[in-house]
Amino acid sequence: MNRRMVNIILVLYLIVVWAAVIFRIDRFPITWVPMYSVYHPSETISQSIKDKAAMWKGLRVTHRDGSISYVSYKDLNIPKPNFRRLYYSRIYGHDPPKHKQGNTSLGSVNRWIRGLDENERNFSVDWEWRMFWTLNKTLQFEPADPKFITRIESSKQRPVYRKADLAKGDASKVEIQTHQAVIDWQDQWVKRWNHGLL
Amino acid sequence: MGFCKSASRIWNQFFFTGFSGESLGLLRMYIGVGLLFFHTYQFATVLSLNPIGAMYYFIEPIWYFKLLGIQYHVPALSFVMYAILMGATIAMISGKNTRTSIVVIILCIFYLKGVRDSFSGDVHHRYIIPMQILFLFLLSKCGEVHSRDARQLHNPGGVQEWEASWPIKTMQLYVALFYFWSVIAKVRVSGWVWFAGEGRIQEVLIHRSIRWGVNEKGEVLKNALSFELAQHPELIQLFGILVLAFELGFPLILLIKSVKLRLAFIMGVTMFHIATFVLMDVNFLLIPFVYLIFFDLVPIHAWLKARAWPLFRRRPSIAS
Repeated sequence: MNRRMVNIILVLYLIVVWAAVIFRIDRFPITWVPMYSVYHPSETISQSIKDKAAMWKGLRVTHRDGSISYVSYKDLNIPKPNFRRLYYSRIYGHDPPKHKQGNTSLGSVNRWIRGLDENERNFSVDWEWRMFWTLNKTLQFEPADPKFITRIESSKQRPVYRKADLAKGDASKVEIQTHQAVIDWQDQWVKRWNHGLL
Repeated sequence: MGFCKSASRIWNQFFFTGFSGESLGLLRMYIGVGLLFFHTYQFATVLSLNPIGAMYYFIEPIWYFKLLGIQYHVPALSFVMYAILMGATIAMISGKNTRTSIVVIILCIFYLKGVRDSFSGDVHHRYIIPMQILFLFLLSKCGEVHSRDARQLHNPGGVQEWEASWPIKTMQLYVALFYFWSVIAKVRVSGWVWFAGEGRIQEVLIHRSIRWGVNEKGEVLKNALSFELAQHPELIQLFGILVLAFELGFPLILLIKSVKLRLAFIMGVTMFHIATFVLMDVNFLLIPFVYLIFFDLVPIHAWLKARAWPLFRRRPSIAS
C-alpha cells in the first residue's frame, strides 16, 4: 500500500465514523456512542427490585391444555442476566437501551432520511408476540400442541423515591409499587409463526 | 493555497510520524495479550451455558444475524468459536499468519457478540474500540515485526515510520473521538441537564443500588456506597463536571507529547472506569488495556524485558 492509498483509506474511514455519529448509526462495529445518553428529568426515581428466588424459578406459563409450569433460564439455556431482562423488561414491553436511545430526540434530519413521520418510532418491537415466539420455539412447541404456551406471567416490585427526599438524605420515604405482567397468546399471530422474526 | 499546504503538513505530521515498525509489532503483541483476557471476560456468560442444551430462539437478533437469517443459538458452536477465537488471538500475538489470524478474530467476535447481544436484545458496546483497533491492525504491517511471519519475509527495508505510524495514530484518534462523541450524544439526546447533580448520574446510582432490594427502613441490601452518594447531588454535580471535562478533553491527549502527562491523563480515565464500574455497574472495566496505543512500547518492552529476563534465566548448576 502506498501513501496515497493510505490517505484515501484514512479519509474514507473518518467519513464513515463521523457519518455514524451525525446520522446516529449504531450498528456494530460503528456507533454514535449513545450509551447512557437517555435521561428524562422526573421528580421521582424508581427501579425494579430483583427477586432472585422468583426470577430463577422462572416465568409462570400456562399451556394450551390448561396446565401451569415455570420456564427458567436453564430451560431456555440462556445466561442469567439475559433471562433477568426478559423477566423484568421485555415481558412488560420495555425496550432495551439501544431502542430507547434510537427513539429519543431523533431530530428532523434523521427522521427524514429514515422516512419516519413526526411521532413515528425508529425502533418499534412487538415484545408480547416475540416472548411467545421465543419461548415456544425454544421449547419446541407448535401452536397446535397441547403444551403450547398461551399465557406468560411475571411480577415485580418497584420502590419509588422522591428526589427531593433523597437530596435531604432521607431514604426512608419510599412507596413500594407492585407490577404484574400477564400476556396472552393471540390466535391472529399464527399467520406470523412460520415467518418468525425475520 | 497556504491553508491547504498547512493542512497537508499537519495531516502528514500527525498520521505519518512518531512510531517505528518495532512499536507497531510490540503493540500488536501487547494488545493481543489484553484481548485474551477481554474475550474471556466478555463471553463468560455464553460459555456458562449447556453446550448440548436447548437451542434458544433469539428474541431480537442483532442486525447482521437478521441479514444472514440466523434465528437461534447453537450452544456447542459458541464453544467452538471461542476456542478458535483464542487460538487466533495467540497466533496474532506470535505474528503467525497475522492477517489471517486477525480476520478470524474479527469474524469470531462478530459471531459471539451477536449471540450474546441477541438473547434479550441488549446490545453492548464494549467491543467497538477493540474492533476498530483490530481493523486497523488488519490494514497495517503489524505482522512484519516481532513476528514469526517476519522471519519468513526477508524484508530488508523493514517497516518505515509512516507505515508504522498511521495505524497507531488512527487508533489514538478513534479512541479520543469515542469519548468526545459520548458528550455529543448525551447533549443531543438529553441536553446539558444530563450532567446536573440530580441528572442521569444520580439516576444510575439509584438504579444500581436499589435493584437488589431494600429493607423495611428503605435501606438498600447491596451497593450502599452508590445509594449514599446518590443522596448528595452536590458531589454528583462535581462528578458530572469531571466526566464532562474528561470526555470533552480527551482529544487533547493527541497534542500531549510528555509521556508523564499522558500517563497521568490515562490513569485518570482508568480510575473513572473503575469508579463507574464499582458505583454504577458500568462495565467498561477492562477497556483501559487499549490505552497502550497512546504509548511507544519500545522502551516499556525493553524495561520489562530487562527486569523479567533474570527471572527466566537459568542459574548455572552446582555440577558444572
